[in-house]
This record gives sequence, structure tokens and C-alpha cells, in this order.
Amino acid sequence: MWREIRDREAGQTRPSSFKSRVESSRIADIQLSNYKEFVSPHRGSINSLQVDLTEGRYLLSGASDASAAVFDVQRAVDYEAGGLIAKHKFLFSVDKQCENGHKYAVSSAVWYPIDTGLFVTGSYDQCVKVWDTNTTQVVMNFKLPGKVYKTAMSSLASSHMLIATGTEDVQIRLCDIASGAFAHTLSGHRDGVMTVEWSTSNEWVLISGGCDGAIRLWDIRRAGCFLVLDQNRTQLGRRPPVLPRTSMNKVSTSGALSSSQHSFVKPRAIQKKPNNGNGIKPSSLSRTPSKVSVKQRLHPGLLSCQDRATAHYGAVTSLGMTQDGTYLLSAGSDSRIRLWDVDSGCNTLVNFETVRLQTSKTIQLATTHDSTLVFVPCMSSVKAFDIWSGRTITTLRGHYEYVNCCWFNSQDQELYTGGNDRQILVWTPSRLSPNDDPESTEDRDNWSD
Amino acid sequence: MEESGGKVRALIEKATNSTASHVDSRLLKAIKTVVRYSDSEVRLAAQTLMDLMKRDHSQIRYLSLIIIDELFMRSKLFRTLIVENLDQLLSLSVGFRRNLPLPAPPAVASVLRTKAIEFLEKWNNSFGIHYRKIRLGFDYLKNILRFQFPNLQANAARIQQERRERAMKSMEILRNKFEMLTKNFTLIKEEIHSTVDEINECLEIARSKEENLPFGTLDDEDFDEFRPSELQQLRIDSLKEAEKIRENSENKVVFDALRELYKLLVTKHLVSLKEWISVLIRVEMADNSSRDSMLKDFIDIRNSLLSVKKKCMESGCSLPETEKHLKDEEEEDFWEEGKVEPSEIDSSSTPAEPSKKSLASTSEEVKIHTHKHNYENPKIKKPLVGQHGSTDSNPLRSKLMAEAPIMNWGSYLDNWGPKRDVMANYRGLELESHWGRVDYDAVIPAEKIAELSLPAMLYKEEQVEIQPCNAPLRKGGLCQRRDLKVCPFHGVIVPRDGEGNPLHQSNVPNNTNNQNTMVDDINFNLGDNLVEKLAEKAVKNVRNRDQEESRKRKFDKRLEKRAKLAKIREHNESVLRHAALASTSHSAVSGEEAEAASEEGHLFREKKETLASMLRKKVTSKDRLSKRLLNTRASDATIRQLTIGEDATYREAFPNQW
Repeated sequence: MWREIRDREAGQTRPSSFKSRVESSRIADIQLSNYKEFVSPHRGSINSLQVDLTEGRYLLSGASDASAAVFDVQRAVDYEAGGLIAKHKFLFSVDKQCENGHKYAVSSAVWYPIDTGLFVTGSYDQCVKVWDTNTTQVVMNFKLPGKVYKTAMSSLASSHMLIATGTEDVQIRLCDIASGAFAHTLSGHRDGVMTVEWSTSNEWVLISGGCDGAIRLWDIRRAGCFLVLDQNRTQLGRRPPVLPRTSMNKVSTSGALSSSQHSFVKPRAIQKKPNNGNGIKPSSLSRTPSKVSVKQRLHPGLLSCQDRATAHYGAVTSLGMTQDGTYLLSAGSDSRIRLWDVDSGCNTLVNFETVRLQTSKTIQLATTHDSTLVFVPCMSSVKAFDIWSGRTITTLRGHYEYVNCCWFNSQDQELYTGGNDRQILVWTPSRLSPNDDPESTEDRDNWSD
Repeated sequence: MEESGGKVRALIEKATNSTASHVDSRLLKAIKTVVRYSDSEVRLAAQTLMDLMKRDHSQIRYLSLIIIDELFMRSKLFRTLIVENLDQLLSLSVGFRRNLPLPAPPAVASVLRTKAIEFLEKWNNSFGIHYRKIRLGFDYLKNILRFQFPNLQANAARIQQERRERAMKSMEILRNKFEMLTKNFTLIKEEIHSTVDEINECLEIARSKEENLPFGTLDDEDFDEFRPSELQQLRIDSLKEAEKIRENSENKVVFDALRELYKLLVTKHLVSLKEWISVLIRVEMADNSSRDSMLKDFIDIRNSLLSVKKKCMESGCSLPETEKHLKDEEEEDFWEEGKVEPSEIDSSSTPAEPSKKSLASTSEEVKIHTHKHNYENPKIKKPLVGQHGSTDSNPLRSKLMAEAPIMNWGSYLDNWGPKRDVMANYRGLELESHWGRVDYDAVIPAEKIAELSLPAMLYKEEQVEIQPCNAPLRKGGLCQRRDLKVCPFHGVIVPRDGEGNPLHQSNVPNNTNNQNTMVDDINFNLGDNLVEKLAEKAVKNVRNRDQEESRKRKFDKRLEKRAKLAKIREHNESVLRHAALASTSHSAVSGEEAEAASEEGHLFREKKETLASMLRKKVTSKDRLSKRLLNTRASDATIRQLTIGEDATYREAFPNQW
């Protein structure tokens, strides 16, 4: 630790690498926090957690008792046990008592990505509501044809304000906040849509996972989906380049270099952005020429055999993109987690050592900022996997019932998890200096005989 | 190191392998000492205990939980190790997961659950701050699963608080009293002083009067040697007696005053003094100087009072005695309620007539006692005959009481005796607003009333004594089943001796004969019961004797009958022997069975109680019964027995027909 700081002082290590090194070391020994806890006002299982994307300070939770609450992650409301335990009480909550509040369980609650003035909740009462944070009033209400499983807003959208909703219905509807109407209806899934996710690299690309086991990628500017992920289309050949890349990520000191190395891998290449597309197509063709050509040819309406491809046996319960938008993680009710190369649409065959996953509910994965770890709720525990090798790094046990969602706060390297036992738990890196812990008097060996 | 490593494991396993409800304290101590000095031992112990908690036996889990608690409260390392898997531990000990209920012996399992909840609360109270997982577990069980925690600490705190409040309240009262005392202190002192002074004066007066009287001179010391000591003692006593002041007509007034003052002194001042002193001792004030001085004063006063009292006692022996006497009487009268006499007695026994007093008082007392008796009688209703004390005073009444029947209580007793018509609308109820006419003079005739209030009598069945089967059981003792004819396990009921062996060779007609005798017995019993009833009414004591006699008679009669039947049997046996050769008798069969069963039973019982035996389901009497009854062989045998029995009754009716 001290040596690293000295190196940094001497300018031997770059700031970014120093930062990532510290971060990864902190993440490595993440554990249940004893000095920080959220006082959950929910009286039902917690289905969704999200920290706002602008300040990284306000945690939004949605729960089965039709309520949603906001917590301040940074500042505690009161302290207990002589300032040892910081209790974070909710700043406000909205529930059934609220005017126009949800009637049934809130399945999904997300922040408006641009600021914290709005948030969106989707509920089993077939409604998606947009709330004003300051007045805690509903400002917009979308009535959908079935239970809402998942809502999503694109974090990098600059030209649209669409809420993607996955519902019981086979169609994905995009609710436009600007107009208050459904802007799009995307049909293609053969069963309810469990989860939707916007691409982290392209504001027009939407990814959806359905109960029919298919993961579809949509370009919302065009009709139909342009890619259905097939679990049988594998890409073992691409794996060797993946591993060096990650090791490079860790070791290499220049972020710029690595990004330049990867740029040709990005899916952006294949899709829109016409200026880029031309330049990069040859490189991707050179790697997997046949596949790309097929895709290109088929684009608007896919071949029916390709259209029937499945990504999981059973429903797809969760989707998560790495921060650079290159890879996609999906979890299914077949208790598998798969890592997809979005570029080629291939299953990378990484074997994640899962035990069991919840099957009936949408779960929420969380990836670290540098795409090294993924946190997956595995029944009543949360497991941290190495994304590239699938190894289990740690198993976080603390919940007494199933865990539904987790959110990684990369700013503080904290993990928040919510489960059926109505608790929101905070997992933090263990404190640096043990002197801070006044464990002195009470918690000691006490041998009376 | 490795050796000792095995040691803690062995110790724990040994400690948990027991059926007792607690861990052997020696083993526990050994475990603690082993674990104390090495971290690896702690790790091993935690591992072993968690493994044991996974065993499918509540007893093992219970004992390991106790050991876990012991170590948990002591070792920090152990705590951290256990807390890691706290959810697992809780699910194994509390059994809150529906798919993982607690294992077999249900009694132990419930104890395990309560204990685990109790421990969790304790851990949470003492270490919850340092371990988030303990807090979480506690919270989960308490707020989400709504387990009832014993809440020991809060209860203790509440009790403490209550006690403190009570103490505060009593302190407040004491302080108030003390303040009152400080106000009234001089007053009290003066009052007491004046009383004491008066007593002293009275004594002075009495004494001075007494001195005028001539004393018999006593100058016979020279005779002393010759007299026996007893006589001497007697004489000294009489002399002393003479020295005492005698009450006579002259100083009567003085004595009266003295007596009254004395009474005042004893009943009021001394008692109140005692109270004040206790208050002073108990009270806690900011400055104790005034209190101490007061206390000192009070003690002085008390001592002076006591000395005065003693003087009074010395002055007249009769004084305290009469006082006491009077007091006694007064008290007695006071507590007798509803009497007219007390005031009279009081007036008669007041010190106005002290000369007669001693005699009068005794006679009065006697009178009072007799009165008391007379009054007692009607008050306490003696239910029946046999009360000696009161009988002589009211012979007619006791006679009537003896004759009166004992009635059960009921509403018909309200209308006992009077044969009157009853007004129907005579209750003062508001009837005006009812529709229709109201007949205020409506009357329910007396017959109707009598009819309505007919006492209900319940038919009581006469208790028939059914003889127990008395067949020997394989676990010892005799079968206590009472069946009329046939015991389902031991066949036809046969008279048996003390060890359960049949008195006679059990043969078929033989049995039926016995049945008949039994029925006769029962009949006889009924008659006897009637006699007994009469006897009960007449004299209580006779009853027991009679019962014994009747029993004896019964027995005699039975023997007689047996003897009579024996002859017929003798004849019949010879006939039946042939029949017996054809078919096996039931008694033989059942005998075999019993033997076989008893053998296997012994094997079962001889085993010591082990953990495995706790798991085994207890064989209840119901199981045994069903096993026995559903046994085809047994049921067949019973059926056969019964049909043969029917045959036999026919044969009994015509005994000479074969």
C-alpha cells in the first residue's frame, strides 16, 4: 500500500492505474458493512435498487409493498452506538397511500438518467409512473397491457426520452416522457418480456430478454430486431484474445492504449453510425467474415430459424452490459450466466460457477466499472464472479431470504443488495485502519474460567 | 498439536452424545480449557460444532448449541467464526426455513428452538453492535418472522425501574412524615412529659398514703436457720406483697387515674414513639444533624417511659393484670359482631366496681361464651347430624336436622313451602308502551308454580363393581381391564389368585360357570348396596364394617358356589377331555403368544436410553392395543371363545345333557 503511494508520488505509476489498483484491492475484500446500514421502510421484498447516475448519491429502491424510497448514500441521518453505526433513513418514500400511487408491487424503479428530478417506477398493477422527486407526485402515468417486469432508460441518450418496458405482454413498448404516449411497440418475443436494457455504447440499441429464452437486440430506428442471440453459436476462438485483453487491462498503464486496441471490437461498428461502419466493417469481416455477411444480408427480417434461437433454456431473468458496451451478461432461469460478445452475437462459453438462480423473478446484476467483476444474486447470497474466467471471487452471505437485486456503487466501491427479507444491505471494503473500530472493551475474549 | 486437535473434537462429540438436558459440566470445562489456549483449537471447535449442528437429531443440536453459546460468550475468534455462518446456524437451531424443519424428537426440538431464540437475543444484546449479522438475524426473526423473543433484558430493566419507583415513593412518604414530626416535635414531647409527670404524681400520692399504714415488723432473722428454705421463700414473697401498694376505698380515685394514665402511656405514647423512631431511622435527609438529635431525644423519652412503666408495674401488681384483663375482654367484645351484650358487659366490668371485678369478669365471660354458642348455631348451618356441642342446647332442632333430607340446590328452593298464587305482572316493569291490553292482576296459580318449580332429579346409576381381568401381564402386574365377560386380550374372565394364575383348570364350561357366578355376585351386590344405603343413613361408622362384612360374605358365597360347581365340573371335565383332544384350547394358545411377546419385549426394554432410542417412536398402549386387536389369531380366538360361551350357557341350562 505504502509502496504504491510512494511509487505514485515518484510518478512511477499513472494516476488512472493507481486508482484502478486501489479500487480493485478495495473491491476484493468487500464484506457486510457493520457501520453503515439502511433502515428499510419497506414491508415487502425489495425488487429494484439504483443509485442515481448524476451525483452517485441517492439510492432508489422499489419494493413489493407498492412503495419506492430514496436514501442518501453519503450522509447518515442518525447514528447509533456512539457514532459507530450510521443509520441511513429514507429521505422520502412513495407508497399506496400516495395519490395515484401504485396498487401492487413495484418491480422496477429507475432514475431519470439526466438528473435526479424524476424517477420512473414500473409495477405489477400494469402501470409505469413517472414521479417528480421534489413534490413526490406522479407526473405521468402509462397504462400497459400487462404486469410490468422491468423499466429501463438509456444512460447516454441525448436525443430521446424513452422508457423501455418489459411486460407480461409479448411486445416491448417504449414510453415517451416528452409526449406521454407509446413511441414504439417492438414485437418479436413469443412470451412475456422479463428484462430490457439499453446499450451502454449506443443510445439507439435496446436489448431485451424474454420468458421464451430469447435475447433480442433492437435498433429502435428500424423495424424489427437485428439480432437474436443463440446459445449454440459459440465463439471459443475469440476467447484467447479476450483473456490477454483483460490482463492488459489490469497491467497496462495506459487506458488510452487499451481503448484504442479494443475499439475495433465494439458493436458500434456493425450498426448505424454510417461513417464508422464503413471503416470498421473490413476488420470485423476479417475476423468472422461469414457471420457478419449473413447478418448484414438478413438484417430487416431475419431468417425464421435464426429468429427462433434461444439464449437460455427457460426465461431470461436478467441482462447486464459491461461499461464499454462490448459484452453482454445474461442470467436465465436455467441457472446459467452467459457472456455474449455483442459484436459477433456469439456465446463466449465462459463457465460461471453458479449454484442456483431465482427462476420466477427478474433479478438485477451489477458489474464493476472496469468490467472485471459481476455481482449476481444467487438465491440468498450474492456471488462475485470474474467476468472473463467465470471464477467465483467471493460469496456474500447476509440475506435471510432470496436476493433480488444488487447495485454496485463504483464511486465508493460499495455494493447494495436488496432481498425478500426486506433488508437493503451495504457491502463495503473493510476499513483500512483497524484503529477506527472501537471494539476494545466489549468485544473481547472473556474467559471467566 | 495434532493430538490435542483430536482432543477437542473428541471432547465435543462426547459431550453432545448424551440424552441429558444439559452438557456435562466437567466436559464443558475441559472443552473450554482446551480451546482457550489455542486459536486452531477454536477453529476446530467451531467447525466441529457446526458439523454437529447439521446432524439430524435435535438432541445433538441442542447440546452443541449450548456449547456454542458457552464459547460464543467467551472467545472473540469463535464469535467471528460462528457469525460467518449465522444464518445457517439459525436455520438449523430455530428451524425457520420451511423446507428445513427441526429434526426428530419433537420435545427436544421445541426446547432447542426456544433456547436458540433466547441465545440470539442475548448475543444481540451483548455483541450486536459489533456484528451486523447478529443484528440482521435478530431483526429478521423478530420483525419479519415475528418470533416471540423472551425480552429478558427489557424485562429486567422494567422490574428494576418499578422497584426504584417504589423506593422513591416510600422515601417521599417518609420525608413527609419526618417533616410533620419536626413540626409537632415539641408538642409530642410536652404531651408525653405531662403524662409521665402525672403518673409520677399519682404514684407519689399513693405511696405517701400507703406509708401511713403500719407495717408488721419483721425481725426474725434468727429463726431463719431453722426454717426450711421453701417456707422462707414463701415468707419473703408475702412480705414483698405487703410492701406493694394496695388498692382500697381511700386511694381508689388515685388508682383509677393511674390506670388510665398507664393505659394512655402504653397504648398511645409508646406505640407512637416506636413509629417515630423507625421513621427517623429510615428517613434519608440532606443533613442528618437535626434528625440525629431528634432520634436521641426520642430514645431518651422512650427510656424514661419504659422506666415509668416499670415503676407502675412495680407499684401495683394488679394494675397491669387488670389492664390486660380488661383489654382482653374489650377486644373480644369488639370483634364479636352483631351483639347486644357488649355495651352491658363493658359497663359492668368498668373499673367503677373494682372490688367485685375479678369475680364478675369471670362470670361474665362464662356468660358470653354460652351466648356465643347460642348465636353460633343459626349462623353456621351445620348440614347434618353429629354436632355435639350444640345438640344439647336445641334437641328439637337437631332431631329435625337428622330427619331432614339432603336436597340438591336448585331454583325450586326459591318457592319452597309457600303455596301462593303469584302475580304475573308484578315486577315494576314498564308495560304501558306495549301494544295490547295489560292485565295487571294476572295471576299464576299455585299449582302452576309448583309444576314449574318441580325439583329435577337425576337418575343415578348404581355402581356395579366389575371384576378386573387379573390375568398376569408380561411386564409384571395384573391386567386391570374390567370387562363384563371377556377380556379382549386374555379371553374369558376367570377368577384368579394373587399372582394371576387361574384358580381352576381353565376349561370351557368352567369359564361360563364363573361368569354366571359373577352375574349372581352383581345381583347380590345390588341388594347389598341397598342395605348399605340404609346403613349409611343410620350410622356412619357402621358403614365401613358393613362393607367389609358384605365383602366377606360375597367371598364366602363365591367359594360356596365354587365348591358346588366343582362337583359338576369334575363330571364335565371327563366328558370334555375328549373334546379338548380334538381342538386346542384358547388359553394354551394365548399363553404361547404371551411368552413369545414377552421375550421380544425384554430385548427392547433392557437397552439403555440412547440418542437413537430418542428418535424411535414411543410404543404407546394404543399401538399395543391395535397390534393385539388386529392380530387375526387373537380375534379368531375371541370369536371362537364367544361362540363356545354361548354353547356353554345352553349346556348350563341343561347341565345333565351331553
